[in-house]
Amino acid sequence: MDELTKEFVAESQEGLERMELCLTDLEKRPGDVELVSEIFRTVHTIKGTTGFLRFRRLEKLAHAGEGLLAALRDGKIIATSELIGALLELMDGLRAILHLIETTGIEGARSTDDDRELIALMVDLKAGSAEAAVNGKSAPPMHDVELLALAAGRDASRAALLSAAALAPAPILTATQDRTLRIDVEVLNRMMNQVGELVLTRNQILQSSPDAQNFPELARRLNNVTAELRQSVMQARMQPVGHLFGKFPRMVRDLGRTCGRQVRIEFEGQETGLDKSLLEAVRDPLTHAVRNAVDHGIEPPDVRMLAGKPVEGVVRLRAFHQSGSVVIEVIDDGAGISTEQVLAKALERGLATPEQAASMTQREALQMLFVPGFSTARKVTNISGRGVGLDVVRANVEQVGGSVELESHLESGTTVRMRVPLTLAIVPALVVRSGGQSFALPQNALVELVYMARRDAESQIERIGASELYRLRDSLLPLVWLDRLLDLEQSAGTELQGFYIAVLESEDRRFGLVVDDLKPPEEIVVKSLSAVLREIGLFSGATVLGNGTLALILDVAEAGARAGVRPAVEAVKVVEATAKLEAAGRVGQAQIAMATSVVIYETWKRGFGEDRRGARMAMPLSAVERIESVPIAEIEYAGGRPVLQYGGELLPIEDEDEVLLEMAAANKPGDAGPAATILICLRSGEHASKRVGVVVRRVVGVSPGTLLAATAEVCAEPLAMVKDRVTTLHRDFVGQSAPPALQEVA
Amino acid sequence: MRNTAAIEIDLRDTMSMCSLRAGAGLFGIETVQIREVLGTTSPQRVPLAPEYIAGVVPHRGEILTTVNFRVLLGLERRAGPGCVLVLDEEEGRDCFGLLVDGVGGVVTLARSALEANPSALDARSMALFDGVFRMPAGLMVHLDPQRLRPSRLAESGMFAAARRRSYGGQR
Repeated sequence: MDELTKEFVAESQEGLERMELCLTDLEKRPGDVELVSEIFRTVHTIKGTTGFLRFRRLEKLAHAGEGLLAALRDGKIIATSELIGALLELMDGLRAILHLIETTGIEGARSTDDDRELIALMVDLKAGSAEAAVNGKSAPPMHDVELLALAAGRDASRAALLSAAALAPAPILTATQDRTLRIDVEVLNRMMNQVGELVLTRNQILQSSPDAQNFPELARRLNNVTAELRQSVMQARMQPVGHLFGKFPRMVRDLGRTCGRQVRIEFEGQETGLDKSLLEAVRDPLTHAVRNAVDHGIEPPDVRMLAGKPVEGVVRLRAFHQSGSVVIEVIDDGAGISTEQVLAKALERGLATPEQAASMTQREALQMLFVPGFSTARKVTNISGRGVGLDVVRANVEQVGGSVELESHLESGTTVRMRVPLTLAIVPALVVRSGGQSFALPQNALVELVYMARRDAESQIERIGASELYRLRDSLLPLVWLDRLLDLEQSAGTELQGFYIAVLESEDRRFGLVVDDLKPPEEIVVKSLSAVLREIGLFSGATVLGNGTLALILDVAEAGARAGVRPAVEAVKVVEATAKLEAAGRVGQAQIAMATSVVIYETWKRGFGEDRRGARMAMPLSAVERIESVPIAEIEYAGGRPVLQYGGELLPIEDEDEVLLEMAAANKPGDAGPAATILICLRSGEHASKRVGVVVRRVVGVSPGTLLAATAEVCAEPLAMVKDRVTTLHRDFVGQSAPPALQEVA
Repeated sequence: MRNTAAIEIDLRDTMSMCSLRAGAGLFGIETVQIREVLGTTSPQRVPLAPEYIAGVVPHRGEILTTVNFRVLLGLERRAGPGCVLVLDEEEGRDCFGLLVDGVGGVVTLARSALEANPSALDARSMALFDGVFRMPAGLMVHLDPQRLRPSRLAESGMFAAARRRSYGGQR
């Protein structure tokens, strides 16, 4: 295919995308002349260029469409919904031919590639309305029968098309978008400048020797240029999310008709940028979510009317940046999801036990919807509700390192929230060694790391049948040996002092990966593997490490699946069986229930007299995300209160003990100063999922403890028994420390 | 004018072959089909990959899958590093590496001197070799990179399937 044709195809496809938007708008404002002119221009341009490029079939179809549009523009006919339907079909027809040209280079001459019906429809519509205009009410129904027959045929094929489209989103759309990209010339110029800078720096480095005096400076400059260039390229790859939203008005319109709903779609934050590859990755999940919203979310008009809502439902797509990732929400104002129904279904399917169901929070219950094979739709339609719903959405989004959440309020609607990283190309990863090779584990799957000395291994690893488990605080963690999984040469095990367990979680599989050694985490550049190696399935790519060697990137979910780790919900039954075994043994179940782990820290405020300095408090470990050491110069003050910029978020700092003041007083001005220890905690209760930093004097350690019940008579604060000492728990974070069911036991 | 025409015809009849060694054999690949020769490198092994995959090497910002030619010939893997040739795959859209013992000089040979594979060859060699040249010092086997593509090797199924072993609990 020559350059000219390529350009024509790309341009026409863009034009058709605009046309699609205009058409759905036109349905709302039938009299808008501007819109009609815009659509006319698109079709006119296609017709003009095809004549020149000699695509006869395309020209014929575009010509017929142009005739109809001219009549519309001149006010001879009005934009009825039938007419708009026909124009949408015209657009699909044009798109299909363009797709043929793009893939095969020719426009198709087979008998199936026939547009006669469509052209006849265009002509009939134009002529029919012209005659109607001339003859007033008595339009001669000469070709009515023919038209009806045509229409019937159309509807059937349309229905087939719709159901097909519902299952697999049209590939036609994605074809060109993968290959062409519009970039701001500004950005391109900046990139060129930075490349120039890179060349200059390279020249200087080549001319100097590693022990030259200015070498550190050169290295720093290289670092800067690389970072800038990387940013520019990322920016160039950023595409507004609006590109993705473009096709939804049409889809919602068509779906609304088939399901008998009145739905309006609204957009917010269309200009939010997202990496091109990710844009493609969220296309399907987003389509799925919108389809769900229309089909299951929005109620039929009569139901809405009875509920006192506007008859027309609203589906809102909202995109925005939040702490290094892009959030896309699909919000509907429909019926919402009934938690009772979800739980009933979960029980029926054996996905949860009655006790679990009773103790589930609303949020946990909604999470059940993501379990494969779960569908609450009472009626299976051909659009959605086949039980291949949200689990697929989640799998797709997690594949690109994102996450999906569901929020629903009965009567007032549902929100599906997808969170995806800004880019896929560069991800933070932990590098591990096993069997003499390096492997990279994406950080987003990593929960925590545990070191185990060889001599403790025998006593701490428990065996049930063939599987090995490690008791990590309150839960049993299945272990997967990386060297065994990959069939690597066995690392000379006895020589090693110990090994590491990387606790990983992906797609609901949680397991400990046993590796020989850890290397410092790196920001790795992800490279794809060739087809032969992709087939192995365990590696999602490879990367070149800082020291120049290669490391394979492990697909965490697949590794878990290969080793036979079950997703959490399925695993419930196994864990129960295990718990029973244990209950029969030395530990009573109630005691397990009450046990919890806490981070013990030192505070001076709570102590009395001489003991003041040694006073301790505890924080439930489940509330602590990280322990950071922050130079006090980095702590800023807003409105007299200390705050910390943390991972793109503004964290309020709690300093009950006034450690910061003391440190600041002892510090000379101009110094970075000593570092304060801050626990980054997740708040529970009404401040749900708000992070807060708690300044402590010193972290003493982590220890298992037992929550004490009914402490109100002794002390207003919650207490725990830790290492045989009564310790005060930080009251703001206790709610989440023990699962609700366990508190009832207490 | 006539002179240049004569040279062109002459050029079309010759092949510039890069000679390479694997085990005791001598092989040749046309120089135009070679993108680059990477000096001594040891590819990073990929666990669970088919036996004939030597591993991966970094090459111009991409990850190059490398085929171990010794394994294809049925020879033992060599522990040390070897030479990696970067070859085009499918009309230059992609490339792959070929790990050999060493690379020799470039020789120019007449295209007409290329003889078909001897009929006595076994099926594996038939699938790999593209004919032979009779050289003064012995035979040089002509190789067509398209026959050595990892994807083709995988399809043919002739060369040692992937070493798959299910994950067992035993240590």
